[in-house]
Amino acid sequence: MTRIDLHMILQTVGPGGYGDLVTRRTGQAVRNGIEPMLADHPPGDLALVDFSTVRLIDYSCADEIVGQLLLRHGHAQYFLLVGVRDHHLEAIEPVLERHGLAVVAQDHTGRIRLLGRLPEDVMRVYAVLVETGGAEPAAIAEALGLGLDTAKAIMADLLRRRLVRPDGPAFRPLMCA
Amino acid sequence: MTRVVELPAQLDDRSFDQFTRSYADAVAQGGRLLFDAHAVQWASPFGLVGLLCAGQAVAQEAEQPLFTLPTDKDVVHYWARAGFFAQAEALFELHGKWPRHAARGSSDVLLDVTPIRGADDVHDVVGHIQERAAAMLTGELGLESTATMGFAMALSEACQNIVEHAGTGGWVAVQAYNWKRRLGRRVVVIAVADAGVGFRRSLEATQAREYGDRWRDGAALEAALIKGVSRFRDPGRGQGLAGIRRYLGRWDGKLSVRSGTARFNMSPSWDDDPPLEEGLPPFPGSQVLMIVPAVADKATR
Repeated sequence: MTRIDLHMILQTVGPGGYGDLVTRRTGQAVRNGIEPMLADHPPGDLALVDFSTVRLIDYSCADEIVGQLLLRHGHAQYFLLVGVRDHHLEAIEPVLERHGLAVVAQDHTGRIRLLGRLPEDVMRVYAVLVETGGAEPAAIAEALGLGLDTAKAIMADLLRRRLVRPDGPAFRPLMCA
Repeated sequence: MTRVVELPAQLDDRSFDQFTRSYADAVAQGGRLLFDAHAVQWASPFGLVGLLCAGQAVAQEAEQPLFTLPTDKDVVHYWARAGFFAQAEALFELHGKWPRHAARGSSDVLLDVTPIRGADDVHDVVGHIQERAAAMLTGELGLESTATMGFAMALSEACQNIVEHAGTGGWVAVQAYNWKRRLGRRVVVIAVADAGVGFRRSLEATQAREYGDRWRDGAALEAALIKGVSRFRDPGRGQGLAGIRRYLGRWDGKLSVRSGTARFNMSPSWDDDPPLEEGLPPFPGSQVLMIVPAVADKATR
């Protein structure tokens, strides 16, 4: 597990470091600080993007950090946003929607949320996975009254988006221990 | 020959086009410009940053314009405290006395007239304003605490528009008011302005062909503010203005963006400006006005 402390990276950007994640240029600089960390990251490991000490993030910065990270690395990396608060979501959610992306976030209380505009069935499946800590497609299909093929297709989509991790025949939601 | 640009006695967003008409007429006639503020009784942050835009545009193209200060000493002191003259003296040949060391920090001025030239300035502005904005928005306007971060985000994005699109510097000012007659409530006003290329020229390379003969200032404003297009082809761009609209919509606020000869208005229930005004007197760059009102049952001070 690799923890990416956004506030710490922000302190290395700009003259004397910045206090807030604002401006596109700052977002690009922070992402440039993150990407070398991902290069050293073991394949299949979880990257925790830590917002817990981020006071403010604006749309442009959210696009450069969350949007561009997922677009460039989301096909191969598991990302979990941690320490996320409602005002962070105001900037992050429009970015996900604009790019058709999704990501898992754990808020400061530990609650897991799937962010992004996904079909209702997918959101319901993810809620069951979070509630149970993981399940096989057959169990999901039974719990939600879905066809098995539908449940398998949803799991495959979640896996493709790196929103769940395979564990034998089951799938587990991303979460920070 | 000197051409006089008359300033209205109350210079704010409502009288701004009285000023721009006088400005456009004077520019069209040619000669040195004299901005005559002697009769001005009051100016909003929008009026002050708009004046600076006019000064910048003229100073870039022609002889440094003249500026006659208001006769009313209180007005002069107020403009000095708001940081106007500190910016204006680089653009205008100022005529009249103004206090160079006027006390700053009126409780209603959240941000003096502040230049925006680059990303570092945006960081400074956002860092500077958060604490005072929180006290104002939640304490005096009665908004939920979540309004504060959105306010800083909206401010950041509006300032970044200058950095990313104007091709020149600009200014921002933030102030609180009692709008007893206009609204019966207290408001916080953000004014952001530049004398840069404006929305139409900024978007021309990517949008003009699609619009053909309909490509005008109004079309450019609609493209940016309603369709969320940007001069960059990256689909992640163009979210800032949409975010500003969402924020102001949530808090019953007003957004007005003037560029060239058009103005886009996102008007809340308490305002009756039309969504788009075209055929206005030409004015350089872009001027953004954001108004966040107190909650309806919050009495004015």
